[in-house]
Amino acid sequence: MAERYLEELTKIHDAVKQDLLGGRINLLLGWEKGHYWWQSRPLFAENEQDLERLTWDSFCAVNLSRYLLEELKDYQKIGVLVKGCDSRSFNRLLQDNMVARQRVVLYGLPCPGMLDYELLTATAEAELESIAEQNGIVVLRSAAGEKTVEREQLLLYKCRDCRYPDPVVYDQLLLAPRGEKEAPERYKSVTKLEEMPADERYTHWEKELSRCLRCYACRQACPYCSCRECFVEQDKPRWQGRAYQESENFLFHLVRAYHGAGRCIDCGECQRACPVNIPLQELNRKLIKDINELYGQFEAGLNADLEPPLLTYKPDDPAAFSEK
Amino acid sequence: MSTALNNNADGWDPLIVAFCCNWCSYAGGDLAGTSRMSYPANVKVIRVPCSGRLNPMFVLRAFQRGADGVLVAGCHPGDCHYSTGNYHSRRRLSSFKRLVEFAGFEPERFEVRWISSSEGDKFAEEMEAITGKIKALGPNRKMRDARWQNVT
Amino acid sequence: MPRTGVFICHCGTNIAGTVDIARAIDASRNFPGVVHADEYRYLCSEMGQDLIKNAINENNLDRVVVGTCSPRMHEGTFRKAAAEAGLNPYMLEVANIREHCSWVHRDIEEGTPKAIALLRAAAAKVALNDPLDSPELEVEKRALVIGGGIAGIQAAIDIAEAGYVVDVVEREPSIGGRMAQLEKTFPTLDCSACILTPKMVEAAQHPNINLITYSEVEEVKGFVGQFDVKIKMKARSIDPVKCTGCGVCYEKCPAKAPSEFEMGMTKRKAIYVPFPQAVPNVPVIDRENCLYFKKGRCQICAKECPPQAVDYEQQDQIIERRYGAIIVATGFDQLDPSSYGEYGYGQHPDILTALEFERLFNASGPTGGKVVRLSDGKPPKKVVFIQCIGSRDKARGMNYCSKICCMFTAKQAILLKEKVPDAKSYVFYIDVRTAGKGYEEFQRRAAEEYDVAYLRGQVGKIFPEGDHLVVHGVDSLSGKVVDIKADMVVLAAASIARADAPEVGRIVGINSDSYHFFNEAHPKLKPVETHTAGVFIAGACQAPKDIPDTVAQAGAAAVKAIGLLSKDVLKGEACTAIVNQAECSGCLYCEAVCPYNAINHIEIEERYHEEMHKRTVAEVNPSLCQGCGSCSVACRSGSINLKGFTNEQILAEVDAICLQR
Repeated sequence: MAERYLEELTKIHDAVKQDLLGGRINLLLGWEKGHYWWQSRPLFAENEQDLERLTWDSFCAVNLSRYLLEELKDYQKIGVLVKGCDSRSFNRLLQDNMVARQRVVLYGLPCPGMLDYELLTATAEAELESIAEQNGIVVLRSAAGEKTVEREQLLLYKCRDCRYPDPVVYDQLLLAPRGEKEAPERYKSVTKLEEMPADERYTHWEKELSRCLRCYACRQACPYCSCRECFVEQDKPRWQGRAYQESENFLFHLVRAYHGAGRCIDCGECQRACPVNIPLQELNRKLIKDINELYGQFEAGLNADLEPPLLTYKPDDPAAFSEK
Repeated sequence: MSTALNNNADGWDPLIVAFCCNWCSYAGGDLAGTSRMSYPANVKVIRVPCSGRLNPMFVLRAFQRGADGVLVAGCHPGDCHYSTGNYHSRRRLSSFKRLVEFAGFEPERFEVRWISSSEGDKFAEEMEAITGKIKALGPNRKMRDARWQNVT
Repeated sequence: MPRTGVFICHCGTNIAGTVDIARAIDASRNFPGVVHADEYRYLCSEMGQDLIKNAINENNLDRVVVGTCSPRMHEGTFRKAAAEAGLNPYMLEVANIREHCSWVHRDIEEGTPKAIALLRAAAAKVALNDPLDSPELEVEKRALVIGGGIAGIQAAIDIAEAGYVVDVVEREPSIGGRMAQLEKTFPTLDCSACILTPKMVEAAQHPNINLITYSEVEEVKGFVGQFDVKIKMKARSIDPVKCTGCGVCYEKCPAKAPSEFEMGMTKRKAIYVPFPQAVPNVPVIDRENCLYFKKGRCQICAKECPPQAVDYEQQDQIIERRYGAIIVATGFDQLDPSSYGEYGYGQHPDILTALEFERLFNASGPTGGKVVRLSDGKPPKKVVFIQCIGSRDKARGMNYCSKICCMFTAKQAILLKEKVPDAKSYVFYIDVRTAGKGYEEFQRRAAEEYDVAYLRGQVGKIFPEGDHLVVHGVDSLSGKVVDIKADMVVLAAASIARADAPEVGRIVGINSDSYHFFNEAHPKLKPVETHTAGVFIAGACQAPKDIPDTVAQAGAAAVKAIGLLSKDVLKGEACTAIVNQAECSGCLYCEAVCPYNAINHIEIEERYHEEMHKRTVAEVNPSLCQGCGSCSVACRSGSINLKGFTNEQILAEVDAICLQR
């Protein structure tokens, strides 16, 4: 673990400890180390003892805002550590009436981007033993020796084109802001797919979606998937057939993405959660790109007061149909 | 590739599902009938109160069940019986259309048209046109439910 | 298992000519749930309906499919027949095998399979039908009219005459509106006050009419039959019961402010009635300009008032009342032409708007009825009228035609000639539009008998030169540049929506066009209805219009309101949205897209881990819902559904239609 993180962790720890012990919050949602050193999983801290497990490192990718949906049923007031994407997720939940703002204390953590373990291993070309970070450089230590790589090269897919590393909503900002970033490659894959002939594109998705296990981990991770009963599980009507086949896989993924139209904050948790690496973010980004093109620039989650584009209209809106 | 997905089977005749709003497009269809216009029988109309009632999942269901093309028809923007339904459907279905195209559907497979209750001729022309386009494309196999094929 | 009966109509040869009825009957017998199938030559005839009714009874049918003409034609007929046989009328579906099948296909081999597919879809749908009821609601037998101009007055009188109580809320201290500001009316040149004042008095004295002046509607809740309205009565500072209307107070009052009624051309007192014929004839104190309210001293009015009616302590009051129907008649404004720099409005006292010019004719107006220049008090000998200021102006103003300007200009030119016999009028116009009874004749009279020169063309510039105003324009018919040395210029400024029309629309729950004129429910067939049931519109708040049209529309709106109030209970739409509150997550996207404000949110309590938790869910008011179903698509989990067109039913139709290949 890098020293910078230790220093930041101390700051975070001090701030939340005061609030947890002082009763301002009854639960802190943070991260703790998981079974492996390259895993940081959600921490549910009720007391000082729990807080000792708090961590803040390059693997804190899990979006904690999503956990509010369940935890608010049991705790009156919850503190959450929010990175840029987590804070926009929080706005998503807020706008969808899923959380009460006054029952949540947000601790903002401007985020350096999280690392992709699979990418680390692939780069090291051997089983990783540990990593060290300094000044935008990551040192990969493995049986094969040490390898030095630029940190930017090792980010999770979801972090590579992140535009808002800083939280957009918070009660306390605990670390120094990093500023908005450009994301010139955000739609690169979408554009590449758009340029393919239709059949080729279908074959592409056929191949990608054929891996889908319909485990619905993408949905579980998603801050816009907050329905009490998802359409996939309903029996009346049975929107989604249970069969494990191409037709139903397409249905699920198209509808899942469509339900995020104008709502998806592009946090990429769906794709990160997918055990078979389906490039789900491209479906989401396709919708974001089109809605921006058709109905004006809109970044979901930046401001909970702005109505999602599909809930409103302008009389002279353009249409994407062949009749204009 | 194209032949694998769209094998133009002998004796194939396209099935086109058209969702029409009750107040304009369905009435336009009535007028086409009253005026004794003619269009291919491939198009089968499902009546909905408003194009704003059109859930994109209905469209996907039609493709799953074997429709070769789907058309949604509503009042011209500004003329909605419920004042805003088609404004909403225009946004919803525009982004949805682009999504299904992104999934690999040919643009002609899913279309939206604004047809008023006085446009019986337009109704007939659009039904003719979409049938022609779908015939040229051949049968749709994309997203089609394999088991449903067996039933038919 | 459903017990469905299918009935196929031959419609003579209209259907039977292109659909093999026997094959369709055979196919229908095999649809899931179908226990009976029959045919008839004319199913809509009495014999045909009896056939259905008997079959329902004999076969114990619980739902019916008819394969006939369009449901837009005879759905009602067959539903009624089904109801007469004891079924809920909504347990019937129509397969449109005439307009959508037999009439558009020429070949029996084309028509028959399609008819079968449509029948199969109808049978699949009807299997999922539920009995539906139209919601019933009580009607509060009292109407609210917002706006006390001629539209509001006329509507109120009509409603009151029909025997219902009606409240008229007027923002100004007096009713009368724009018409009260007019000197004469076209095309008859009746004195406006002479025909309006009796109506104002009638409204004031009618036992069924309550005038609530100097008041504004603050909130409208509820729905057709039961609107709960909050009205703010601004403090008048006068006790209307004690006040005799003697006028001593405003004679003595030392403080002055520009008169709204006189378009700011003269001053009124801080305690004032807006015009001599005001109804009610009870002054108000304009607290912003009153010395007592500003500086704490004066009180002359209180001292001078014989019946001691002045009450400085009066507070704003809120009236809360329930109404069955609402008529919005809030009128229009005149465009301020100062943004049109070329006309120099606001920069010279002799460049007036038409409404300002109108006041010069009035005996109680700023000039005591003398038509004179405001600059030097001399009668104008040459007056230039300019049409379409802001109207029919795509680039800078409104696209629409303000409709009344051509006529009031002709009227003012005639009146001018009568007051100043040696005056000469010029009218710059784009087109002269005189549609209306007696209008064309009137305008011709102005041109021919009153020597009004009509110049087709536009004015590029107006600039002062000595005592005169030089109007620099183009006569597009002759192609010549025209310079007129005028004494006065009158601008026919566009009629526009009231500045606060969007706010009024929001409060009352009706929508507007892009110019903020209120939208009628249908441009031809529902001209006074709005999309909110029970709210009607009349007069120039809907679009610019003249007095006869306004009065006619007010009568129409009154009839609609009376029709509503005459019912004890209302029957609403049966196919309305319904929320599954156990599933609803409370995101309220449905509420955002509902055009009728028919969706609210409520808190429900739910047990979770042995404790009661509150959460928000959507709730539909079936009285307001019109059944468009937009909400059901905004809902991702399908927790809000549309009765009569449920998700289940539409999916079943898709499945059934796609079965046949």
